[in-house]
Amino acid sequence: MSSQGMNGDSRSFGRPSGRSGGAGGGAGAKGRDGKEGGGKRYFFRRRKVCKFCADKIDYVDYKDVKLISQFVPERGKILPRRMFGTCAEHQRKLTEAVNRARHIALLPYAAD
Amino acid sequence: MSDRIYEILFIADPNLGEPEVDALAAQVQGFVEKDGGTLQKMEKWGKKRLAYDVRRHREGYYVLLVAEGTGAMVKEVERRLRVADGIIRYLTVRVDEELRKAERRKAQRALGEEKRRGRSGHSPARDTEVQQ
Repeated sequence: MSSQGMNGDSRSFGRPSGRSGGAGGGAGAKGRDGKEGGGKRYFFRRRKVCKFCADKIDYVDYKDVKLISQFVPERGKILPRRMFGTCAEHQRKLTEAVNRARHIALLPYAAD
Repeated sequence: MSDRIYEILFIADPNLGEPEVDALAAQVQGFVEKDGGTLQKMEKWGKKRLAYDVRRHREGYYVLLVAEGTGAMVKEVERRLRVADGIIRYLTVRVDEELRKAERRKAQRALGEEKRRGRSGHSPARDTEVQQ
């Protein structure tokens, strides 16, 4: 639980500031101003919370295809955790589960 | 030596009939018991579509066994699964440690919640006392 809090915080601060540093400047800021109205520096993005932490899933079961497939798009690739906001610990467990499910042909290695 | 808990999941040839798959499952149970393991659970998922072709099959019968035993048992069971006819894919996973960890986490969480409840304001019991 504590690790989840840590992750969430660092993400919500880290990412936007990183952006304004890199692509910031003129065009990006203007577009953002148009949307946000005021001179807001960071545009707000809903903080993603690790679904596994939220649902208190301690063991990511490779047999639970319904659960796992929520995190694996059609293509069959495991997406980086910034896409779903899973915490490091659960992303690791998810990866393990996906790989097991793949081996036993519950999930594809690569679709089409 | 404490025994470990393993999940043994295998896919049987879809061309087999239901009774043959049952026989195969019983056979695997025999492998487990021969090497000093005990079967805890057997689940037959039935015929399912495979996510990709395995040995030119598009579907297969899934059978899950949960067994308690030693590492040596699993080694032997795996060897037998490899040579068994009609088994096109298998997976063995040791689950006792992970489950125990999950269990502990759950217990800890319950404990933490209780503490939080105790700290925030009065406990219901104390409230009633005050009212009286």
